Amino acid sequence: MNRRGNGDASAPAGASPLIELDRIGVAFNAQLRVGSPRFWALEDVSLTLAPGDRLGVVGRNGSGKSTLLRTLAGIITPDRGRIRRAPVSCQLLSLALGFVPHLSGRDNAILSGLMLGLRRREIVARLPAILDFSELGDFFGQPISSYSTGMLMRLGFSVAIQVDPDVLLIDEVLAVGDTDFQQKSGDALRARIHGGKTIVFVSHGDAQIRQVCNRALWIEHGRSMLDGPVDDVLAAYHAAQAPAAAAASG
Amino acid sequence: MRLHLFELTLFSTYAELRAERARSYLGLLWWIIEPAMNMATYYLVFAVILKSGGPDYIAFLLIGLTLWQWFKSCVSHGGYSIWQQLPLIRQVKLPLQVFPTVQILADTVKFLCILALLLVVLWCSGYPPNIAYVGLLPVLLVEMVFVAAATYVVAAVVPLVPDLRFVIEQVLQVVMFLSGIVFSLDGVPENLRRWFVLNPIVELVDAGRGILMHGQWPNWFALGRVALISLALYAFGAFLIERLTPRYVKLPT
Repeated sequence: MNRRGNGDASAPAGASPLIELDRIGVAFNAQLRVGSPRFWALEDVSLTLAPGDRLGVVGRNGSGKSTLLRTLAGIITPDRGRIRRAPVSCQLLSLALGFVPHLSGRDNAILSGLMLGLRRREIVARLPAILDFSELGDFFGQPISSYSTGMLMRLGFSVAIQVDPDVLLIDEVLAVGDTDFQQKSGDALRARIHGGKTIVFVSHGDAQIRQVCNRALWIEHGRSMLDGPVDDVLAAYHAAQAPAAAAASG
Repeated sequence: MRLHLFELTLFSTYAELRAERARSYLGLLWWIIEPAMNMATYYLVFAVILKSGGPDYIAFLLIGLTLWQWFKSCVSHGGYSIWQQLPLIRQVKLPLQVFPTVQILADTVKFLCILALLLVVLWCSGYPPNIAYVGLLPVLLVEMVFVAAATYVVAAVVPLVPDLRFVIEQVLQVVMFLSGIVFSLDGVPENLRRWFVLNPIVELVDAGRGILMHGQWPNWFALGRVALISLALYAFGAFLIERLTPRYVKLPT
C-alpha cells in the first residue's frame, strides 16, 4: 500500500520521480469466456512523473487514458513493462464512492472517506467542512435515496475534495453540479491543483489542459506518442486528427 | 494501515445492517420472522406430515437450522460480495477480503440475535443451561472459521465464473439435506456414514445439539479435525482472493 510522502511545492531540479512507467502494457479479456482473445488497452506507454508535475493526458476515446490513470493509481497491474514508485499515495478523484442508498448523507460521507483512505477520526473531524461545502443543510442527516442528482454530486465532491493524496488523478471531471456549485467545485479543485500538488489530468478540453497543466502526454491506441510541453503535444495531437476529420467529411 | 482497514470493515458492517433495516417495512423484525417461517415449514413437513421427526424434534430442528442458516447466509451474501463490488474496486485500491468479511460480520450479528432467542426458547421448553455450555464457545469459533473459509473461496471464484451464482443455491440446498439439519443421519447405512462424517457441518451441528439438548461435551478430536480443515481452507481462500485480485479489475464490465 502507498504511504504518505511529503510533496514539495516546487520540485528541485533532479528530484527523484514519483512514478516511472517503463514500456508498460495492460491487457483485458474481451469476454468472460475461456480462451477469449485479449485486447491490449495499453501497448507501450512510458512516462516519468516528477514531484509538482501537472501532466495532461490527451487522446481519442478508447486510446487508453482511463486505463493509464488506473495503472498509475495502482488499481490495475500491468502485464508488460515495469513501474517504479516512490512511497507516495495516489488516488483517483472519485465522486460518491461506495455510496449506499439507504444511509444518511453523513454516514455515506464517513463510509466514502474511509474507502478513500482516511482514518475514522480524520473523516469525522472533516464532517462539518463537508456539510458546509455541500450546502446540504438538514438533508445531511437524511437518506441519500431522497437526494436529487445535483445533491448527490455535491456530497460526492465535498467528500472527495477532503482526501489529499500526494498524486491526484483526475478523469475529466473538473467541476460538478449546477452553475453555482460548478464555480465552487472548480475553484476548490484548481486551488488544490495550483497549490503544488502533483496531478495527472485526463481531458478532451484544450483550454482546460492549457490552464492546468505544465506538461502533456498524447496517447494513441495505447501507445505514448509524444510527451512534452503542452502546446507542442496539443498541436501534434490535433495535426494527427485533421486528415482523419477531412477523410470523414470528404 | 491495519487499523484503517479495521475501521472500514466495522463501519461497513454497521452500514450494511443499517441499510438492511431501512430497506424493508418491518426492518429488523425479519431477522426473527424469516427463520421462524423457515422452521415452521420444515416442522410441518417432517414432524406433522411425514411423522419422521423423532423425539425432541423441535429442539433438534431449531438448533440445526440456526447453525445451518448462519453458514448459508454468509456463503450466499459473502460469496457474491466481491462480484457485486466490481465497479467500486475499479475506482479505488482496497484489499478485497474486506467485502466478504463485512457480509460475514453482518450475518454473524444476525445469527447472535437468533441464537439468543434460540437459547431462551430452549430454556423454556425443558432444556436448561448446563456446564457443557462452556463448550459452545469453541464450537461457535470453529464454525466461524469454517464459514469464513467457505465464503472466501466462493467470493474468490464467483467474479471469474459468475454462472456459479445459479449453482450455489442448489448446492447449498443439497448440502443442507446431507448434513442432518432437518432429519437425523442415524438412518444412513453404515458404509455411507463415513462419507457423511467428512462434512464439517455434521460435526458442528452434532456438537451443538449435544451441548444444548443433552449437556454433552463435544467430541474434541472431531472438532479439532474440523478446525484444522477450516483453517487450511481459510488460508487457501485468503490466498485465492489475493492472487486473483489483479484479474478482477480487468474483467469485462
